[in-house]
Amino acid sequence: MKNFFEKIRFYIPHLLILIVIANDSLLINTWIAPGPIINLKYILLFYFCLYQPDRISVISLFFLGLVFDSLQSTPLGMTSLCFIVASKLIYFLKKKRTQANFQNEFISFGIVLAAVQILTLIIFNYFSKTSPEYSLIVINIILTLALYPLFRYILQFFFRYQI
Amino acid sequence: MNATKLAKSSAVGTAVLERTFKEKLLTPVLIGVCFLLLTLENISFRPIKLLKSLVNDVITYSAFIINLPVNFTADTTKSFFEFLNFNIHQENKILKDQVNKLISEKNELLFFKNENDNLKRTLGIKNQGEYAALLVKVIKEDTSEFGKSFSITKGSSENLELGQAVVRNNIYLGRISEVNYLSSKVMIVTDAGSRIPIVIPSKGVNAILKGDGYSNAELLFLPTSANLDNNDQIYTSGTDGIIKEGLYVGKVIVKEDKNKKKKYSIDLGFKEHQLNYVSVLKLKR
Repeated sequence: MKNFFEKIRFYIPHLLILIVIANDSLLINTWIAPGPIINLKYILLFYFCLYQPDRISVISLFFLGLVFDSLQSTPLGMTSLCFIVASKLIYFLKKKRTQANFQNEFISFGIVLAAVQILTLIIFNYFSKTSPEYSLIVINIILTLALYPLFRYILQFFFRYQI
Repeated sequence: MNATKLAKSSAVGTAVLERTFKEKLLTPVLIGVCFLLLTLENISFRPIKLLKSLVNDVITYSAFIINLPVNFTADTTKSFFEFLNFNIHQENKILKDQVNKLISEKNELLFFKNENDNLKRTLGIKNQGEYAALLVKVIKEDTSEFGKSFSITKGSSENLELGQAVVRNNIYLGRISEVNYLSSKVMIVTDAGSRIPIVIPSKGVNAILKGDGYSNAELLFLPTSANLDNNDQIYTSGTDGIIKEGLYVGKVIVKEDKNKKKKYSIDLGFKEHQLNYVSVLKLKR
């Protein structure tokens, strides 16, 4: 039984990301603001990849991305690619940083988010017949960044991981 | 080569190979698979389309199950606040009055409809094709920066097709944008990619309604001479030949800026995130 709970605890990041992906709009955009406001999935991905890199595998990110693409009718493979690139970028930035403080973390999150959204736009331009609204993406990046400290605080309250 | 053979010959070697694959090869392989999926989907490769349809069905229904606790919590909260409503008796009285008023208006409309049909018959004007409504359940609503849609419980097994209009109580909600075997996706009228031909009968004006990506829509290609008023009703014009004409979309809200120039916004006839059951309009053949 103890083993079972240990396993559940180990897979909590996956479960959280999966629930957020399945309820992305319902949890955030319906209850907090009436629109595609923030990218909670990237906040979770960034947090867990930064603090608990061993818990998030590339294969699980690939499948989580496929689930999101399927639910949102975006080109299949787009979000998987973004998740994998984001995780690798987070590991890279974590290696390269000289100090572990909030400032560096926030800047890293901004770089990752901007890189992922640019990658998304490139994929949309090449692999999709519909074009996204650029202003929405810009608003999404700004508000996700602005709300990152709040969600980081909440996540740290529940998951006190050490770097 | 010899090193690989040697590595394969022992359990430790196999473990080392597995680890090397996981660390060095897995990421490029998965990135390659992503690009392969994107390319195959882009060139409309039929097996991939079928696979995607199957995967979509499985994921949509799985998401419905995952969402159950969240939906249950939301519904319970809503029910609790409704239970705390102490003005229910007063509300009931008002609603009864409204129902009576609506019944009399409906009878009046029926009279005008018959008169309209008779006039059309006399003038030899043919009606647009007949539509049949198929009632479907909304599985979940999806809102992201790339689109606004909701999933419904019927798909190509019920002969649903791309572009068919989705309504609730004759109010236009959106059109089908993706059809799987057992489920479909509906692009909501507020999606940034949604464009539908509309008409404002009181002013005799035609235009295109475009979603703004949030929770509203705007009018495009409105004639410069058009002078709309508050509460002018907007209906689908049906000029695209797919969406039924005369479906209610919303009403015009007029605002004036500092230079007294009119700006139009739309009050859509429905509220998002409150959709449980909707109808798909299928052309009768």
